[in-house]
Amino acid sequence: MTGEERPDSANGRRAQLLKGVAELALLSLLGERPQYGLEILERLRGEAGVELAAGTIYPLLHRLERGKLTRAEWRIEDDGARPRKYYALTDLGREELASQLVEWRRLAKALNAFLDRRRTK
Amino acid sequence: MSAQDEDPEVGRWLNRLNWALASAADREDIVEETRGHLAESIAGGLSPRDALASFGAAETYARRFLDDIELSGALGSQRSGAMLSVLARRVHTSLVAAGGFALVVVLAACAFAAALTAIVKIFDPAHAGMWVGRGIFMIGVLSDPSHAHELLGNWIFPAAALVVALAWILGRLVLLWSLRRIARAR
Repeated sequence: MTGEERPDSANGRRAQLLKGVAELALLSLLGERPQYGLEILERLRGEAGVELAAGTIYPLLHRLERGKLTRAEWRIEDDGARPRKYYALTDLGREELASQLVEWRRLAKALNAFLDRRRTK
Repeated sequence: MSAQDEDPEVGRWLNRLNWALASAADREDIVEETRGHLAESIAGGLSPRDALASFGAAETYARRFLDDIELSGALGSQRSGAMLSVLARRVHTSLVAAGGFALVVVLAACAFAAALTAIVKIFDPAHAGMWVGRGIFMIGVLSDPSHAHELLGNWIFPAAALVVALAWILGRLVLLWSLRRIARAR
């Protein structure tokens, strides 16, 4: 049924769009301070509207670590909770973030101008 | 939640993940991080089933790490065999891999033909070489050389070496380009 298919199709479209910006949003978030997986996931969902699944975020975090864009360390919190793995941006990661931001802003500006072309005429 | 009072469903899922990641050097790290995430999610009010659903099947989740380890390992080492093997495993899922693999096979076939012709030339110089004639242009072994003229003579040896070297260099470039494209597309 079309009515039931629409949300799925919208979710699929959204997932495709998010795939390209997830890494940028993640790097931007880690640019603030070191954070751990669940915290990153919740902030991406809550603040950026990037609905990534837990099964997506960790392979991405490990890929960035392997690419030396982030470094990770296990920390034991004061509250005695189980150890958490914190990720922080490296210098290379900061350079990558700056470069992706420039590219994203250029792309977003050009695309917005293109999509609004009829409205501005 | 300690490993002892872990939900049985979560425990089974983590065991499957541990098993599926057998070839990963950082297996323990991944499993512990996932265990911590699940424990915190469940402590935060999520049911074990919902917490596990956000990771999907343990084997699929593990595959994401293994694919990445394999790809970055091959690109990092830049060993032709490793790169070819990674590319071959992706032929059925990636157009870039399929095209790159086909190109490498063609280059390898050219190199093999050139090398074989040069070897045969040592033992049978009358039939092996680069032939031109009426409707004929080929590098290889001609059974009846009376209808064609051999162009290279002993130059076939450096020519074959050049073809092999070019095929090797181009093949490596194709492998690197294909794997980098695949890595960027993830």
